[in-house]
Amino acid sequence: MTETRIGRRAALWGAAGLTTFAIGGKAFGQGAPVVFGALPPLTGAGGPYGPAMLRAIQQVVEEANAAGGIRGRQIRVVAEDDQTNPDAGVRGARKLIDVDRVSALMGTWASSVTTAVAPLCWENRIPLFTVSGADSITLLPHQGFIFRTQPNSRLQIATGADFLIRQGARRIFHLAAQSPFAQSSQDTLVEKMRGVQGGAVTGYIVYERDKTAFRSEVDQIMRSRSDTVFLNGYLPDVTILLRELFRAGFDGRRFTPAYAVNQSTFQTLPNDVTNGVITWQPSPDVDSGAFRRLQTRFGNVEVDPYSAQTNDHATLAILAAAAAGDAGGVAIRDNVRRISAGDGERVDNVTDGLRALAAGRAINFEGASGPVDFDERGDIRGTKFRYERANNGRFELMELR
Amino acid sequence: MIQDWRDLAQVLLNGLMTGSVLMLPAIGFNVIFAVLRYPNFAVAGYATIGAFAGWIANTQWGLPAGTALLAAFLAAGAAGLLCEEAALKPLRPSGALTVAIASVALTILLENIVRFFFGNSLRGYDLPVLRDWRFDGIRVNPQQLANTGYAIAAASALFALLAFTRLGRAMRAVADNPQLADIKGVDPDRIARVAVFVGAGLAGFGGMLIGLDTSIDPLTGFRVVLSVFAAAVVGGLGSIPGAALGAMVVGVGEEMASVLLEPAYRTVTAFLAILLVLTLRPEGLLGRRT
Amino acid sequence: MESYLVAMLVFAGLYALMALGLNVIWGLAGMVNLGLVGFFAVGAYASALLTTKQFWPMPLGWAAGAAVAAAAGAVMAVIVARLRGDYLAIVTLGFAEVIRLVASNEIWLTNGTDGISGIPGPWRGAVTPQQFNLIFLGIVWAAVALAFLLCARVSHSPFGRVLRAVREDQDVAAVAGKPVLWFKVRAFCLGAAVVGFAGALYAHYNAYIAPDGFAPLLTIYIVLALTAGGVGAMRGAIIGALVVVLLLEGTRFLAQAIPGVTPVQKAALRESIIALSLILLLRFRPQGLIPERTRTKARP
Repeated sequence: MTETRIGRRAALWGAAGLTTFAIGGKAFGQGAPVVFGALPPLTGAGGPYGPAMLRAIQQVVEEANAAGGIRGRQIRVVAEDDQTNPDAGVRGARKLIDVDRVSALMGTWASSVTTAVAPLCWENRIPLFTVSGADSITLLPHQGFIFRTQPNSRLQIATGADFLIRQGARRIFHLAAQSPFAQSSQDTLVEKMRGVQGGAVTGYIVYERDKTAFRSEVDQIMRSRSDTVFLNGYLPDVTILLRELFRAGFDGRRFTPAYAVNQSTFQTLPNDVTNGVITWQPSPDVDSGAFRRLQTRFGNVEVDPYSAQTNDHATLAILAAAAAGDAGGVAIRDNVRRISAGDGERVDNVTDGLRALAAGRAINFEGASGPVDFDERGDIRGTKFRYERANNGRFELMELR
Repeated sequence: MIQDWRDLAQVLLNGLMTGSVLMLPAIGFNVIFAVLRYPNFAVAGYATIGAFAGWIANTQWGLPAGTALLAAFLAAGAAGLLCEEAALKPLRPSGALTVAIASVALTILLENIVRFFFGNSLRGYDLPVLRDWRFDGIRVNPQQLANTGYAIAAASALFALLAFTRLGRAMRAVADNPQLADIKGVDPDRIARVAVFVGAGLAGFGGMLIGLDTSIDPLTGFRVVLSVFAAAVVGGLGSIPGAALGAMVVGVGEEMASVLLEPAYRTVTAFLAILLVLTLRPEGLLGRRT
Repeated sequence: MESYLVAMLVFAGLYALMALGLNVIWGLAGMVNLGLVGFFAVGAYASALLTTKQFWPMPLGWAAGAAVAAAAGAVMAVIVARLRGDYLAIVTLGFAEVIRLVASNEIWLTNGTDGISGIPGPWRGAVTPQQFNLIFLGIVWAAVALAFLLCARVSHSPFGRVLRAVREDQDVAAVAGKPVLWFKVRAFCLGAAVVGFAGALYAHYNAYIAPDGFAPLLTIYIVLALTAGGVGAMRGAIIGALVVVLLLEGTRFLAQAIPGVTPVQKAALRESIIALSLILLLRFRPQGLIPERTRTKARP
């Protein structure tokens, strides 16, 4: 299904690119504000993440407005709650697209919401910036309208596994919440561990995300004599699992995506439980200021990777519109790569980016979630990952590569 | 999976721990059902309210967890009484199902009231996390043991109330036969209020116990609600010892399922337990035929 | 704006179909069904799988969606027909959760939480999205009209009268020589078929289905629709569905206008308003906007 459409999409892409470069800079600069739509989960299972994601978007927009907006036009964000439900997400997206006339949608979290909303976006020719992890999303026939800042599970798990192997892990137990990437994570992990002397995935359990007790699962981990447990879940369940592993006296490595352990974990669990937990996430270079700026703006607390990504969603959309001189959806789509990759001046925030563009310089935006270079499918590529270890309520950088 | 008696004992023990957390909301649900004859789905909301009230008492006022549980009981009981009087009681003439449906809406309302004031982020109690005790390879956690103790204490208090006090006898009389109780001079309205207060309060107490073992957010009660209903039905709707037994059956069943079947199907086990019991013994394990 | 309104009317039509189905089960036969979304999911998955994997033509897929949901309804009815209403509420609620879990975990069949995308829609791709919306609007409301006629006919037929008798007092109906169980099973089948058909249409409209979409909240919306419109009256089910969509979407604009609260608080307020309006409706207009005309005294 997808193979046949990629050709057509690539062709469209090229054609669309040519035309917008030709007509870029049409009627622009009048007073009407540019409207972006945010569709984060504010209720339901994604509830712990959505509010911070939205805050990151709003802060970028405020900063951009203070810097003069997109070529003099102010920017407005309209947010709708997707309720972590594709049905509600579609209704929200319809409203944003048809009533608010947004020129980009950003901040969808659940893979199911993103997949449900995506056809509306490409049919209405507006880009969709998402943090969803399901590999299938960028395989949709989206004509270049989807930009995903979350690395696909293959890339993410493969690099994570390499790190664990470098750390000396050989026997890994994989405990995954039921999600679109549980199985592909497992396949990648098995493949990686098979390539190592003595390496093995000692167990693989998929659990129901909403449950409150995981005692028997932890028993199985203890029995497997693993040196590492990979907790492939989300905040509420990983919080319970960390407590249960501590109680059981598990003394191996605990490895988990950075979005499953964040500031609220430190407030929920005592430090002796969280100390030593290793997280990883896509990341910009150490010398990039984007991540630190975001941390400062969030009140000097740990920033979860999803907020870092939505920070970049808003910045990408604004800079792309500014570079195009046109705030339409197609113009934004066609200019995202122009401002996020290449040899232009490296900028790590929206103010510098707008200033450089206004001065007529080419830019290469490096975000808080990584260098945000997109491949032709809309997946990020060439990103670095940062590995951090929790220590007394803070994360300490272990490695960045 | 299960290789020797130790593994089996461990699973059983885990099941009892899980069950003891479900027990109080299930008992609360059945107390309300016994007297008022409708399934109050709002116990999920009351559990969440209790968990948050206990959290305030524990982390903001600095009360120890045991005392905070009392705050959870009182706050959830008060919330239950308020909701009953304001929202559910006027619907009673329209029939039990109308009240039941309104109680579903009430759960959503309560969840969102909590969300409005506390947001979505996870919160934890101010409590050290203790290591397990091990007995011949079987692990027991002191905190979970304490939680089970709290649950049993609360359930015993309810039994004592029902067995030894005038109020308790009146409650049982209303549960048995409201008309007859009315004739005997028992005020059914007053008994209903007591039942709702106690039922909602126990749900709140149980909600905080869930929170002590996990972390709390506006969905805390909602996550366990299906297991709680299953416990109540398996034990027999309206039967208080039944709810306690049902909770243990569902708890053990869920832990067994996660070992023997797949952990992803825990909830399905609860549902299968309901179907099995209803097919073989429609009144529940300890329920009475009506 | 127009496409938004059209899309919302499509949703209202789907909700109206579900409300009609629920009305047969609950309104006529008096069996509460809080597992509505489960039948909706069964219909959606059946049609989506048959059209995308077996390449069945769409109308056949829709029919299959209705048929599979009806079969599920029959099995359900046989199990629960003897149960009292309060047990029924819990069992059906559990059934919907089981369907959602099976859809999440049986990846070989349902593609798991990834869901099924690329479900074909009538003339999708050949016409503009706006035209597609309009076409679907026509299809959905034609289906609503058809289901309405069917249900209204059933309601006034001897079959419907027996169902009402069963609803009011099934012992009396049994004494009168009516096979109560058989009547209940048929009512459940018919209702589940209509709901399953709605599910099939939904799948082909959205082009994508996933377990997340079949959350219990949808059941509550439909119960709200039926209660708002008036349980028992077929016209009420349709009016109620329109009211619910108006409420769901209206609260969006209302919440936007509230100053001084955070986005999460707005979202919380919005859901609160929806829940509160159900409670208020039950309190102040228990007979619904369109009361059932043949209504005797309602009993649980």
